[in-house]
Amino acid sequence: MGYNYTRSVRCSLPLWALMLEAVLIFLFFFFTSYDGSSKDQKRLMGTYRVFQDITIMAALGLGFLTSYLRRHGWSSVAFNLFMLALGVQWAILLDGFLSQPFNRNMHISPDSIQLATMSAMSVLISLGAVLGKVNLVQLMVMVLVELTVFGSMRMVCKQILNMDNHTIMMQVHVFAAYFGLTVSGCFSSPLSKEAKENYQPATSPSLFAMLGTLFLWIFWPSFNSALLDVPSDKKKAVFNTYYALATSAVTAISVSASAHPQGKINMIHIHNAVLAGGVVVGTPGHLIISPWIAMVLGLLAGLISIGGANCLPHRVSCHRVLGIHDSCGMHYTFALPGLLGGITNVVLRMLKVSWTKDLMISYQVLHDTGGLSLIVATGLAFGFLTGFLLRLKIWKPPHAAKYFDDQAFWKFPHLAVGF
Amino acid sequence: MRIKFPLMAIGLEVAMIVLYGLFVEYETDQSIQQFNISKQVHMEKFLDLYPLFQDVHVMIFVGFGFLMTFLKKYGFSSVGINLLIAALGLQWGTIAQGILHSHGQKVHIGIKNMINADFSTATVLISFGAVLGKISPIQMLIMTIIEIAVFAGNEYLVGEIFKASDIGASMTIHAFGAYFGLTVARILYRPGLRGGHDNEESVYHSDLFAMIGTLFLWIFWPSFNSAIAEAGDKQYLAIVNTYLSLAACVLTSYAFSSLVEHGGKLDMVHIQNATLAGGVAVGTCADMAIKPYGSMIIGSIAGIVSVIGFKFLTPLVATKLRIQDTCGVHNLHGLPGVIGGLASIVAIAMGASSTSTMVNQAFALGASIGTAIVGGLITGVILLLPLWEQPSDWDCYNDSVYWEFPRLRDHDNRFHEYHNHLEHEI
Repeated sequence: MGYNYTRSVRCSLPLWALMLEAVLIFLFFFFTSYDGSSKDQKRLMGTYRVFQDITIMAALGLGFLTSYLRRHGWSSVAFNLFMLALGVQWAILLDGFLSQPFNRNMHISPDSIQLATMSAMSVLISLGAVLGKVNLVQLMVMVLVELTVFGSMRMVCKQILNMDNHTIMMQVHVFAAYFGLTVSGCFSSPLSKEAKENYQPATSPSLFAMLGTLFLWIFWPSFNSALLDVPSDKKKAVFNTYYALATSAVTAISVSASAHPQGKINMIHIHNAVLAGGVVVGTPGHLIISPWIAMVLGLLAGLISIGGANCLPHRVSCHRVLGIHDSCGMHYTFALPGLLGGITNVVLRMLKVSWTKDLMISYQVLHDTGGLSLIVATGLAFGFLTGFLLRLKIWKPPHAAKYFDDQAFWKFPHLAVGF
Repeated sequence: MRIKFPLMAIGLEVAMIVLYGLFVEYETDQSIQQFNISKQVHMEKFLDLYPLFQDVHVMIFVGFGFLMTFLKKYGFSSVGINLLIAALGLQWGTIAQGILHSHGQKVHIGIKNMINADFSTATVLISFGAVLGKISPIQMLIMTIIEIAVFAGNEYLVGEIFKASDIGASMTIHAFGAYFGLTVARILYRPGLRGGHDNEESVYHSDLFAMIGTLFLWIFWPSFNSAIAEAGDKQYLAIVNTYLSLAACVLTSYAFSSLVEHGGKLDMVHIQNATLAGGVAVGTCADMAIKPYGSMIIGSIAGIVSVIGFKFLTPLVATKLRIQDTCGVHNLHGLPGVIGGLASIVAIAMGASSTSTMVNQAFALGASIGTAIVGGLITGVILLLPLWEQPSDWDCYNDSVYWEFPRLRDHDNRFHEYHNHLEHEI
């Protein structure tokens, strides 16, 4: 039977997962407590709404977004949920440790869980690039490493570069996508014949992926405005995201049709490119003063996303040149639009400097530029390290022939009875 | 079906309208004055709770509905009948609960009544999971009416007489609904299905649909447990505790699913259901100060128990106790609900709450299970009468008995092709 039997993770997965959970409970026991201050109902419900929106994006949106492959839907959705649950618990602790190293009771509130969910989304985005080539144990390692790196990097940016929470968090797309891509690059052997056959979209899975896309699309304004404190900034971020998303959706669908010889629309493009608008206005959302700028950005993001996916077919070129296989096209959905957003942020601030001649803001411009390059560099460097770590045989990685195949990880009852 | 079902459904709806005409009113200025607050504050409260109500609504209609779509030929009925009985149940639930709580006075509808009505339908939907595929829509309507009446009685007993605390309703909804459904399933036991049924299994895409339900339930469970909690601190505790419990539960259920299966593979059934057990189990003590680690421990245990239940208990229950539990509600709602009740006793013993006593909690748990079993027995016997168009053994788990199905063949072909293809490779 040879490779039909994948390497079993029966010992390692339960062991690691249970141990981790025990450690997490232990750490929560020592270091966390409730927020003792009395709560205003209105504020609590306000933060809870946003928290709920972000959870929907993370669990449902990102889960189904990557489920378009014909034999990999279960893993996409279920691994996503697992990593979210683990990532949030770890990120809550990490945020607490890093912001106040010797604090023995960090407060847990919907705010802190929401922040942790947003950090955990970095892992879920990276997951899109490596999906199908790794098992759950490897993903667990990736969650721990990536969140630790991301958390520390956020602290560095905040303390040394003086960037605000919102700006750093909105670069999560760039960081996560490059991290995921380099990890994926470490699994560089060309896809086997079986894996290529599995690596095909199919009709019903594409519809499921559309479900994820739509939920992300609907709730993206909440994500982009979640960390802004000033109400007027929040409002601007919501409006700009809304218009950028609308523009990028129209652009994506029309350009996708024009890119095809017979003018047909490609569903895979739609899944990803309609979201590019939300990514691009993430960082500069609160600085944009009129909707047309956001719409131009959305248009550009849509073009980049489709252009990248189409003119430089990543499955071919990246694969040949760099040996990177990007499972779900994360580079063109998250990385490039995110970079565009980061650059726009810097440009907008620079314009502000030339208007106001304020020295403080010009420092901030330098810092933001530095922050963006730091984020990309950290993503690449640690992605590389993580990739090497994940290639170790002790994680029992799946066979190359079983890439993108649910059968490697799941019990299929209806096959057993000869359906 | 053609005569009995429409007659019954319309009849029930007319009865509801008449009952509403007699007993139900909107809130008036006088009825608001009972709460000693101004109209303005009251309106604000309504708007504050409205989003939570919507979350619960999503859970009931989308979450529970899609969670049950895992059967390969029973998706239409799962979602469709789920909608039917939830819509009927919430009307009946408003009246049944309202009349008990207002002691025979007129019922004034507020946002809490709407949330509670949704809760009462949850019990029926849980029981529906136990008998899924084996009973007709007519039987389901009858079960809805009886179960909600019994539920309202039990809830009154637990809340008003024992004064027990059960904020997320682990006992009054989840344990109650599960044991009610299981008892009905026991009475309606079909010896013909002992060896399993061809259609009682899932296919690739039906399991993905069920995953939609799971995710919606997972996301909104904190709203479910905090919806009727006291505003402010208690609500905050309920949200945080439920979330942490759910997160911990995911980890342990994946771990155990991989541990009990051959070759360390995961089982989709466990992932769909056991990941939610944490939310059920933490329900009763969600608004108590059980500390973050406490809720994580409860969640972890619930995940483990639920997976073990699916793997070892369900086959045993089916052969020894003769209960055919289609969705495994015993493992998702029954056992975790009992864990929730026990956890609340432990929590009170450790001083996490002073609103209730250990004895009262124990009585509440006993009463919920007791009334559920008695109510289930009565309902089961009524459903046994040969008047309700029960499907034959052969027609079980099949949509085409109740639904017009234009393109069934197409779908079938595709699935067959797909699986033949898979089989080839093995």
